[in-house]
Amino acid sequence: MERFTLGFVISSLEEAGSIILGIVLVVVLLQVIAYVVLHHGLKARLALPLTLLVPAAVGLAVLTGYPLLYNVWLAFTNMSLQHISPHVDPDFGVGQFIANIRRVFTRPVLHSEHFFPVFGRTVAYTALQVTFHVSIGLFLAMCLNRRMKLRGIYRTLILIPWAIPQIVAVLTWRTEFHFQYGFVNILLRNFGHSGFFWLSDRMTNWIAFNLVNIWLGVPFMSVILLGGLQSIDPNYYEAAEIDGATWRQRFRNITLPMIRPVLTPAAILGWIWTFNMFNVPYFINARNFESSDILVTALFRAAFEYNRYGFAAAFSIVVFVILLIFTVFYVKISGLELTKKASQKMK
Amino acid sequence: MRRIGILCLVLMVVGAFGAFANGQQEVEGLVEFDLWTQADEATNELPYLESLVEEYMEENDLVSIDVADMGTEDLREDFQTASIAGEAPELLWTVNDHAGPFTLARIIQPIDDIWEPIGDNLVEPEVLDDQVYGIPITSGNHLMLMYNKQYMDEPPQDTDEFKQMAQDIADEHGVHGFSYNATEPFWLVPWLGGFGGEVFAADGVTPTLDTPEMVQTLEFLYEIQHEWDFMPAEPDADTTDSLFQEGEVAMIISGDWAIGSYEDELGDDFGVARIPRVSETGEWPQPYTSGKYWMVANHVEGETREIIEDFIHWSLTEERQLELTQTVGALPAHVDVLDHPEITEDPILAGSASQLEVGTPMPSVPQMRANWDAMRVEMNLVLADDKDPAQAAADMQQGAEAAIEDMDIDDQL
Repeated sequence: MERFTLGFVISSLEEAGSIILGIVLVVVLLQVIAYVVLHHGLKARLALPLTLLVPAAVGLAVLTGYPLLYNVWLAFTNMSLQHISPHVDPDFGVGQFIANIRRVFTRPVLHSEHFFPVFGRTVAYTALQVTFHVSIGLFLAMCLNRRMKLRGIYRTLILIPWAIPQIVAVLTWRTEFHFQYGFVNILLRNFGHSGFFWLSDRMTNWIAFNLVNIWLGVPFMSVILLGGLQSIDPNYYEAAEIDGATWRQRFRNITLPMIRPVLTPAAILGWIWTFNMFNVPYFINARNFESSDILVTALFRAAFEYNRYGFAAAFSIVVFVILLIFTVFYVKISGLELTKKASQKMK
Repeated sequence: MRRIGILCLVLMVVGAFGAFANGQQEVEGLVEFDLWTQADEATNELPYLESLVEEYMEENDLVSIDVADMGTEDLREDFQTASIAGEAPELLWTVNDHAGPFTLARIIQPIDDIWEPIGDNLVEPEVLDDQVYGIPITSGNHLMLMYNKQYMDEPPQDTDEFKQMAQDIADEHGVHGFSYNATEPFWLVPWLGGFGGEVFAADGVTPTLDTPEMVQTLEFLYEIQHEWDFMPAEPDADTTDSLFQEGEVAMIISGDWAIGSYEDELGDDFGVARIPRVSETGEWPQPYTSGKYWMVANHVEGETREIIEDFIHWSLTEERQLELTQTVGALPAHVDVLDHPEITEDPILAGSASQLEVGTPMPSVPQMRANWDAMRVEMNLVLADDKDPAQAAADMQQGAEAAIEDMDIDDQL
């Protein structure tokens, strides 16, 4: 291991500086070319703003667009370990894509489980998680939205799970779930319970990773919802109180409708992130129980443990389509409700 | 804060120009290459490798080697990914079972010409399709019984004695009698060999996991975990390692990679022996043996390849192999060093060598990946008291066969 000396610091700065300088030069070059083409070549009216957008557009295309397209291309191939070498081309074609998709639904996606049981488990876990994230997140947000002493400190504390690098947090939790030496069981033993086999029992392992994911997901939801709550004009509540509205009526008729524009995208994002959550189910499941695997961990195992890249790419497209359908459906439902309410209000 | 930020930015820009200027003054004829390793710093192996590289660079001004260390699985995945991207390192110091997938992917090259001048001095290389793909650095990488002499004068000779001794120690001293990494099938394999089983048929690629020997092995592992009271709950690599270093467990099964650090920690109390014979069969357990190997990436050629050849030959001399054994505690690949008094008269290394004698070479074919995963899942279910050993063995076989079928190896070779 290299020692932390002045020379080491200088060489690190040199390395970081070279990269930054390179990026700056590329950005400047891109903007100059874009400006010349747009302003002088095409005589575009919005030449300057478009020029300023070019680096971001190129960055997105390179970092997001290219991998996506490459993934789609992979799904049409039988790319596997044998085809990594540049000297061996994989088979490419629609037939190969159909074969890959058929395999997703007809062959085990894990050691023994097929697609649909894993899919069902993933949906159940996601629904459970989002329910907990939203309900606990909303509860905490409402608590933090009230006037109280040390409110700033509480708001900071609630962000801690989110501020710790996820992988560090998850691996720490895994250690703490150890039957004999983890603090979870030590805590339980203080209350007279002998503790659970969090890591080596299928059911409790599933509960363990759900607990960690709730702990990780609540801060995001509460911070977003707190923002939504703060944007509600207090006059609504005052007027409702004067009219004699109960706490429940105020929550149902003011709070919920007013935070819906924030809640809807947050819930959709929460659903997508939870559905695609990799770190928690993968690392808490140290013993590779299939019962703690979800679609994305199965996908990872196919791609990187068995090197079935073509199959895994097709599998990822299936997951993408599922999430797309859900999102379109959810947006449509919430959008319709909003429109209905809005039109009712207008009347 | 803002000033510090500006200062850092200025330093980086100055540094970048410095690097640019340095780039202009690159030493003529300098050969640079990357070496990736899965050597572990905690076991003295990585420090040894780094000192080896430093020494070589001091002797050869015109060579620059950049060492990067990572986990075993990370190395496999990252090397494959880097090879696709054309960014693969030139040289690897890694385990033999990587040779199978790397050869299949054609991302390492045959190195018979590098092997031949030194082959007579070393143990067997990694050979696939009649070509040498890995040159041995250490022999072994095998599991063995390690014990704390505070709790016993002599290690147990068979499993009956082992179980009774572990229980007596636990009862008498209030420590655990035995622990091992119960999450990985690498620790199941020695016992399977002791019960007379193997993971592949004679063809070397057809799984043979649904056998009475596998069932007996799983029953044995279940028994020591659940029917006796000498093991910690949920034993894994970290628990076993910590408990042994703290003197909280009398016996463990671990690999030669850990010998150096346990010697440092336990001193004269540290002992090494063969894993006890299986009483039912009278056979010694057969841990997988492999060792670490040099492998050369497929794209390496020309002057870089010549330097790598020289470096490999230089690293495998008798003197450096002896130094490796003294520092790391692993058995060397050099046959003369294996007979050196430093090893034959050292009780720890002699114990490790004795275990090596009954070991069996670890398969490096890609199908082994399917076997490992199938065994891991089912072994953990048995130990979690979730599945009957006979059913687990049947499911292992089915899972391994399905995975091999999906790997399409036969179709594409």
